[in-house]
Amino acid sequence: MESSAFLDVVRRRLAGVVAPDLPSDLPPTFATGGGQLFDRFAAELDRTGGEAIRVRPDELSARLATVAAGCATAVVAPAVDHREAVLEGLARAGCELLDPDRDGAARAAIGVTGVVLGVAATGSVLLAAARGAPRAVGLLPPFHLVVLPEDRLVPGFEELFGRMPALAADSSNLVLVTGPSRTADIEMTLVLGVHGPGRLTVLVVAG
Amino acid sequence: MTTDPARSRGHAATTFEQRARIGLQTPGLAAALGRAMDQRALQRVQAFAETDEPAMRAAGEAIRAHTVANLDRYLERFAEEAAERGTKVVFAETAAEAVGYVQQVLRDHGARLVAKTKSMVSEEIGLNPALASAGVEVIETDLGEYIVQLAHEAPAHITTPAVHKTRGQIRDLFNRVHGVELSDDPTELTRFARGVLREKFLAAEVGITGVNFAVAESGSLAIVTNEGNARMCASLPRVHIALMGMERIVPSFRELSLMLPLLTASAAGLGVTAYFTFVNGPRRPEEPDGPDEVHVVVIDNGRSAILGGEFHSILHCIRCGACLNVCPVFRQVGGHAYGAVYGGPIGAVLAPLLDGFEAAGDLPHASSLCIACTEVCPVNIPLHGHLRGLRREITRSRATRAERLAFAWWGCLWGGVRAYRWSARLARMGQWPLVRRRRIRRAPFPLSRWTSARDMPALARGSFRERWRRTEGRGK
Repeated sequence: MESSAFLDVVRRRLAGVVAPDLPSDLPPTFATGGGQLFDRFAAELDRTGGEAIRVRPDELSARLATVAAGCATAVVAPAVDHREAVLEGLARAGCELLDPDRDGAARAAIGVTGVVLGVAATGSVLLAAARGAPRAVGLLPPFHLVVLPEDRLVPGFEELFGRMPALAADSSNLVLVTGPSRTADIEMTLVLGVHGPGRLTVLVVAG
Repeated sequence: MTTDPARSRGHAATTFEQRARIGLQTPGLAAALGRAMDQRALQRVQAFAETDEPAMRAAGEAIRAHTVANLDRYLERFAEEAAERGTKVVFAETAAEAVGYVQQVLRDHGARLVAKTKSMVSEEIGLNPALASAGVEVIETDLGEYIVQLAHEAPAHITTPAVHKTRGQIRDLFNRVHGVELSDDPTELTRFARGVLREKFLAAEVGITGVNFAVAESGSLAIVTNEGNARMCASLPRVHIALMGMERIVPSFRELSLMLPLLTASAAGLGVTAYFTFVNGPRRPEEPDGPDEVHVVVIDNGRSAILGGEFHSILHCIRCGACLNVCPVFRQVGGHAYGAVYGGPIGAVLAPLLDGFEAAGDLPHASSLCIACTEVCPVNIPLHGHLRGLRREITRSRATRAERLAFAWWGCLWGGVRAYRWSARLARMGQWPLVRRRRIRRAPFPLSRWTSARDMPALARGSFRERWRRTEGRGK
C-alpha cells in the first residue's frame, strides 16, 4: 500500500482524538544513575551472572591472561582499546588467534571487543558496529571479554539515551549487553548461554 | 511444517468453553501455569519494589497516549528517517499484503532458509504457514518458540511460549524429532538447542524479527531479548526483515529510556534484559559485517479501525504479558483456550476487535472482571472496562430475540422493589427440590448453564431486611 494512503486512513481515524503532551520530566527508574560508578557497575553486572574486574593499565595483560586461561582460540576486534596489551595477554594464555571474521568468530573460544560505554546503574555495556568492530566477535564465541576504559562509564539510562541519537547516526547496529545470554523457557529454570555468549567478563581499565 | 491443523486457530469452529475444557482436563497444566505465573508476577513486584511504580506507569501511559494519538505524524517521521539510513519501509494494510511483501523479498534473494525471532504480529498475519507452503523453511529461534514449533503448536503465552510444557515433554520432543537421547535437564536441553539453532543462524539467507519499539526521530528499531537470537537474526543473514504492528512506535530515544525498563520489568521482572538491540539500517560501507538490506513492514491488519473509537487505548499496549500472569482465568485454562493469537485479558479485548465478534465474541466473557489485569498494566489500560464495553457491544449485536425479551422482562421486574421481593420469595419456595446441603448443584435448563460449571448457594430462609425487621437489629 502507498504510504500516503496508509497514513491518510490513520489521520482520518485520529481526527478529534485529544492528545496529551509528552511528560516534561521522566520519573527515576531502576536504570537511574547514582553512587560510585565502578562499584555500582560491578554489583549490577554480578547480579546478572557477569563479572567486572578493575585493572591498572600496566596489569591489563597479566589479568587478561588469567581470565582467558584455558581458551584455545581467540578472536579480537581490531579496534579494541589497549590492543597491544590484549594481544600480549592472549599470547601469554596460549590462545591461538583467528581472523576476526564470521568463520573465525564461530570457531573461537573467546571474543575480545571494546565498547562505546558502560552503564553503571544496570551493569551494561554498549557495543557498536563500526570500522574494526565486527558484530560477530562479541556475539558468536561462548565467552565475551570486554575491555572498557573506566572514563567511559556513565551513571544511568538518562545519560545513555541522551547520547543515543548521535550514536545511532554513526552505526548501523548498537547492542546494550547486560550479562550473559540467558533463558528461562524450560520450566522457568535459568540457563546461561543460549544463543549469545554464556560468559561475560568486563575488564575496566582505570584511568 | 506449520500447516498442521493443530497449530491453526480454530476459533470459528469451537467456542472458548470447549477449548477451555481441553485446557482444564490437561493433567498438570493449571498447576504448571500457576507456578510459572506466580513466579513472573512476583518478579514483577520485586522489579518495581525500589522505584516509584505509579509514577513510572503514569509517564508510560502519557507517552503511549501521546504517541498513538499522533500516530500518523510519528509513522511518517519514522519512515523518512529510516529511509534516510537505507532501511526500506513498507506499509501493509492487510495480513495478505504483509505476507506478500515478505514472500517477494525472499523470492528476490532465492531464500530457502529463514531464521526468525518471536513476533506476535507474525502469528497474527499467519506468516509461518504461508512461507512453509511456499517451500521456505522458517526456524523459530527463541527457545520457547522453537519448542512449540517442533510440537506443531501455537505459543501459549506472549513472552513464555512453551510455559505449558514440562521438561519431560520437551526431552521427549527433542529426542523424537532429532533422534537423540537427552535427559530432562534444562541446561542439557538448552545446550542441544543452541547447537541445532547455531547452524541455522549461520546458514539462513534471511533473518526475520519483530520490533518492540520503533524510534521516530532516528528510524531505529529496538528489539529486546534475553537469549540473543534477535542479535543473530539482525546481524548474520544478508537480509533482515522486521515486522511491526503500526502502533509500536515512540517519538524519540528519550521516551525509550522509560519504555524499555517499563516493558522488561513488567514482562520478565528485570530492570533490563540481556540484550537491547538497536537496528539503524543496513551495514555501513566501513563496517566489517551485518546485513546488506533491512526491510521494515509496518502492519495495520485491523488496527486503524480501533483508532479513535471506544477501544482506542488498547493500542497503547506494549505486549508485556503482565495481564496474563495475574489473570485467574488464564492461569486455569492456558493460552490455547483463547483460540486467538493473543490470550489472557489483552487477547480477550484484542481478538474480537481484530478477528471480529463472530470469531472471538465469546472471549470478553472469559473473565471474572476481578480487575487484576488493569492493576498491573504498565501503561494503565482499563482492560476490565474494555471487557465490559465489548460484552455490551457483542450482546447488542448477537443476542437472540428470546434472550432480549427474557432480559428485558427481568430488568423490568427487578426495577421495582415490590416485584423484586416477590420474586425472591417465589425463588425461596421454588428452590427446595434442587437444594442439597444448602447448595444447588444441578438445575434444569436454562439454569443448568450456570450449575454445569458452578454450585450456587441456596437462598437463605429469609432476607436480611426481613430478619432485621423481626429482630430489630439485635441479630437473633
